[in-house]
Amino acid sequence: MIDDRLQRIVIVGGGTAGWMAAAAIGKIAGRLPGLSIELVESDEIGTVGVGEATIPQIVLFNTMLGIDEAEFVRETNATYKLGIEFVDWTRIGHRYVHPFGFYGLDMLGVEFHHFWLKARALGDPTPLDAYSLGIVGAQRGRFAHPRPDQPNSPLSKIGYAFQFDAALYARYLRKLAEASGVRRTEGRIVSVAQDDGNGHVTAVRLESGAEIAGDLFIDCSGFRGLLIEGAMGSGFTDWTDWLPCDRAVAVPCTLGGDRVPLTRSTARSAGWQWRIPLQHRIGNGYVYSSAHLSDDEAAATLLANLDGAPLAEPRQLRFRAGHRDRAWIGNVVALGLAGGFLEPLESTSIHLVQSGIARLMALFPTRSFDQTAIERFNRDTAQEYLDIRDFLVLHYKATERDDSAFWNYCRMLAPPEGLRDKLAMFRSSGRIFREHQELFTETSWLSVMSGQGIEPQGYHPIADLLSDEEALQRLKHIAQVIEQTANAMPLQDDYLRQIGCDLTPARQAS
Amino acid sequence: MSAPRRVVVVGGGVTGWSTAAALKRRVPLLDVTILPLAPPAEALADRIATTLPSIFGFHDDLGLGLDDTVLRTGSAYRLGTLFRDWVQGQPDYVHAYARHGEGMGSAPFHQLWIRAALAGTAPPFDTFSAAAAMARAGRFVLPNGDGPFGAHGVGLTLDLPRYTAMLVAFARHVGVRSQEGALAGVERDAVGSIAAVVLGDGTRLTADLYADCSGPAALLHGLLDAPREDWRGWLRCDRLVLEDLVPPPADLPVLEQVTATARGWQWTGAMQRGAVYREAEGNARGGAIAFDAGASIEPWRHNVVAIGDAAVTIEPLEWSNLHLAHSAIDRLIAMLPAGAPHPLERAEYNRQALAEARRVRDFVLLHYVTARRDEPFWRDMAEMPLPDSLAHTLRLFRARGRLPFYEEETFDRDSWLAVLLGQGVLPRHLDPLVDSVPPAEAARAMAAFQTAIAQAIHPLPTPAGFRAAQARHLYERA
Repeated sequence: MIDDRLQRIVIVGGGTAGWMAAAAIGKIAGRLPGLSIELVESDEIGTVGVGEATIPQIVLFNTMLGIDEAEFVRETNATYKLGIEFVDWTRIGHRYVHPFGFYGLDMLGVEFHHFWLKARALGDPTPLDAYSLGIVGAQRGRFAHPRPDQPNSPLSKIGYAFQFDAALYARYLRKLAEASGVRRTEGRIVSVAQDDGNGHVTAVRLESGAEIAGDLFIDCSGFRGLLIEGAMGSGFTDWTDWLPCDRAVAVPCTLGGDRVPLTRSTARSAGWQWRIPLQHRIGNGYVYSSAHLSDDEAAATLLANLDGAPLAEPRQLRFRAGHRDRAWIGNVVALGLAGGFLEPLESTSIHLVQSGIARLMALFPTRSFDQTAIERFNRDTAQEYLDIRDFLVLHYKATERDDSAFWNYCRMLAPPEGLRDKLAMFRSSGRIFREHQELFTETSWLSVMSGQGIEPQGYHPIADLLSDEEALQRLKHIAQVIEQTANAMPLQDDYLRQIGCDLTPARQAS
Repeated sequence: MSAPRRVVVVGGGVTGWSTAAALKRRVPLLDVTILPLAPPAEALADRIATTLPSIFGFHDDLGLGLDDTVLRTGSAYRLGTLFRDWVQGQPDYVHAYARHGEGMGSAPFHQLWIRAALAGTAPPFDTFSAAAAMARAGRFVLPNGDGPFGAHGVGLTLDLPRYTAMLVAFARHVGVRSQEGALAGVERDAVGSIAAVVLGDGTRLTADLYADCSGPAALLHGLLDAPREDWRGWLRCDRLVLEDLVPPPADLPVLEQVTATARGWQWTGAMQRGAVYREAEGNARGGAIAFDAGASIEPWRHNVVAIGDAAVTIEPLEWSNLHLAHSAIDRLIAMLPAGAPHPLERAEYNRQALAEARRVRDFVLLHYVTARRDEPFWRDMAEMPLPDSLAHTLRLFRARGRLPFYEEETFDRDSWLAVLLGQGVLPRHLDPLVDSVPPAEAARAMAAFQTAIAQAIHPLPTPAGFRAAQARHLYERA
C-alpha cells in the first residue's frame, strides 16, 4: 500500500477559528507519526473576535480538549450563560428568554409545552419562561451547573455556555496547541503557490520570503478567505435577501446595569444590539442593515445605549450573510469566517468552527483526498448553515414591529420553505419537528416561536388525559419547584469568586 | 373538523391488535374499534415470529412487562442471527445487537480491527462482541450491570398464537371494542376520504381515522390510489415458505441460523423455519407465499394510515417486519392531529416512514450485494446498480471504513459493521487516525478484550436455565 498519509497540516490565520482548529487537531491527531501541524499568523492583522458568546456545545469542545473549566473561566475573563434574552423583538416593551436546557417536565410521553398550551387555553396566563429553571435562575443573577445525576430535580434540565474574551480564549488555546506540538510561525502571507495539475495549494509565501509548504491547508483567514476564495475560487452563497444586516459597530464598556448570566439582544430600528457581560467589562455591538441606517447613526445609537462608559473607540465591521459554496476544495478546508458568516444573534459563530472541526476529524483525509468524503463534508456544512439561517430568519419574521422600514421589510419577507413549514405546523397544532439532527432543538424553536407571539391553535390530544384541574395543578407545582430551586442556586458572582476569579471592573483610561 | 376521536382498525393479526391496543392504552380518550379480520398468509408482519430489540420499547410504552410478554406467552429471547455461506470461503458470522470492542484514543475500534485484518492478523470481527460470543457459547443473560453484558440488545421470537391471545386480552382490558364481521364494502366521501366501513350484516363503522392493518392487499388504503415504490429490481426474492416448529425445540436457540441457498436463503429459529427465494420463471410452486418488495410513498393518505404490510412489504431477512409496524404505530401516536388534521403532519409522517423503510431496504440489500457466490442469481446481485443511499454508504465504507449518518435508521453502526465486516468487505484504505495507536499496542488491547469476554461468559446460564430462574423469581414474587 502506498503511504499517502498527511505529513504537513498548515493552518492559515490565528484568530479564534485558527487556534480552535490547532488545539483540536493537535489533541486528536498530534500523536500521528510523521505529522507536523503549523499555524501561520500575523501580529499585524487584527482578529474580528466579536464572537464572545457561545452555546452549550462549547462545553463538549472544552471537555474534548481536557480543559479544566475553572482555570479556563479565570483565564478568559468568562462569565456563565444560561440563555439569550430578547428585548423589543416581538414588539417594543416585550421580552422573553431563549434558554439552554428544557422547559418543565414531559408528561404521559408528550412534551411539556402541550400541557402549557392546554393551560393557556384554560386561561392560565403564566408565561413559558416561568417553567425554565435556567431563565428563572438567570433573571435573579444565579448560576448552577446541571445535575444529570438528579433526574427529578429541575437542575437536571438546565444547560449552560460561556461568555468570554475571544482574544484571551485564542491565547488560552494557543498554549494548549503549542503544548501538543503545534508550531507557530509569525508572518504576513503575500502569495499562494498552487500545483499546475490539480490546483492544490502547495505552499504559502510570507513577506520575509519564507515559504511554508503543506499537504492540507486549513483556511482560518477570516472574511476574505485567502485560500478558499482567493486561491480556489469557491464562490459564495449570498443570503442578504433573507438576512439584510450587513454591518456591525462594536464597543466594550465598563460594568453597569444588571448582572445576569444571559446574553442580551435588544431589537433596534434597523437591526439589534448585543450586550455580553464578562467578568470585568461588557461587550456591546449594533448589528444593522446599511440600506436602512448610516454608520454614524448606528454608532450614535450604540453609544447612547450602553450600561457603562465606553472603553475604546467604536469599531466598524462589514460582512455578508451566507457561506462559501464549497467549504472544502481539493486540499483546502475553510473554517470560521473564511467559511461563511451568520450574524451572532444566536451565538453560533464559535459553534460553526467547532462543528467544522468535528466534521473534518470524522472525515480526516490522506493526500489522495477522497472526493466522496469532501462532498459529504460540503453537503453537511451547507445544511448546517441553512438550518441556522432559518432559525435566525424566524426572529425577524415573527414580529409585530412596524415602526421602521427595516422591520416592515423583515415582517413582510416570504419565509424560506423549511421555515414556512415549521411555522405552519406550530400554528396548527403546537408541534415542532426537528430534522436531520439540526443544531437548534425543539426547545429552541418553541422558545422563539412562542416568545415572538405565534399562537398555536391546538395541542397534542394526549394533554387532555389530564383533567383541566389536574393539569393546572401540576403546572403550578412545577413552577413552584422551579422557583424554590432557583432561589437555592448561588449568585453567579459568588460562584465566580469561589473558583478564584478576580472580579475587579475595568476602568476608563482617562 | 376537530381532533380525531374515533379510530377504526381493520385487521386482526399482531399488527392490528398492537395498533388498537397501543392507541387505546396511550390515548385513552380515543374511541378505538377493531375489525379483527384473520390475517392473510402474505402479511409478513403478522406471520414472522422473529423480532428485533425494539419490541421491548413497544411493550414498555404499553406498560407490559416481561412476565406478560415473555414468560406467559412462551416467547423466546434472542441475541442475533448467524449467517452462513453468504460468502464462499468466509467463516459464518453473527450479527448481534451489541457493541464490538473498545476504541482507543481517537481511533474507533472497528478501524483498529480493519488495520489488523488488512495485515492478516485479526480474529473474526464478531469475536469482539460479547453478545455474539455469548450466543455462540449457548449462554444467555438479559443486559445488566456495567460489564461486557450491560448493554446488548435482545429480541424475541414470539409464539404467535399465544402472543396474539395476550394482546387481544390486553386490548379488551384497556377498552378496545371488537366488532366481529366480514368486510363487505367501503364508502367514500366527496374528497376521497373513507366515510364508512360496511360489514356483511350491513353494520357501518365510521371513524375520523382508519388504521389499515389488513396486510399487503391494503383493503382500505389500497382504494386511495397512493403511489407505491417498487423494490423488486433490487430485492429479487419473491417467495416465502414458512413452517411452524411444533413443538418448539426445548433448548430455544438464541440465534436464528440463516443460510444462503442457490436462489435466496433459508432459516431455522426458535419457533419457525422457512425459506425465501426467487421463483424460477414459469414455475408456480404450490404452498409458497408470493410477495412483492416495495413501500407505499404515502402510507398516510386522506384519513387512512397503512400499518404493517399494507405500508411496506419486505422479506424477513433481518426481521424488520413487525419492527416497522411498531414504529408506524409510535409515529402515528406522536403525530395524532391536535386539531383539524393538517397536511403537513401527514407529509412529515410520510417522509419519516419512507426514509425509515428505505434504510431497512438498504440494510437487507447489503447482505445480497456483498455476498459472493457462484450461482447466476448471486452473480447478478453483485452487479446490479444500487439505490443512491446504499451506493453512497458502500462508497464511503470502501474508501476508509466510514459510515454516513442517515435519519430514521433502524440498524445502528454496529449492525452495519457486523454485516459488512462479517461478509469480508474491507476498505481500501485506513482511516489515518488509527496511526495514533501503534499496532502492537492495539493487538495487546484486543487480545485482553477477548480474554475478558471469555472469562465473563464462563459463569453464565444457558437460555433454558435463565428462563427457569426468571420464572421461579416471578412466581415467588406473585
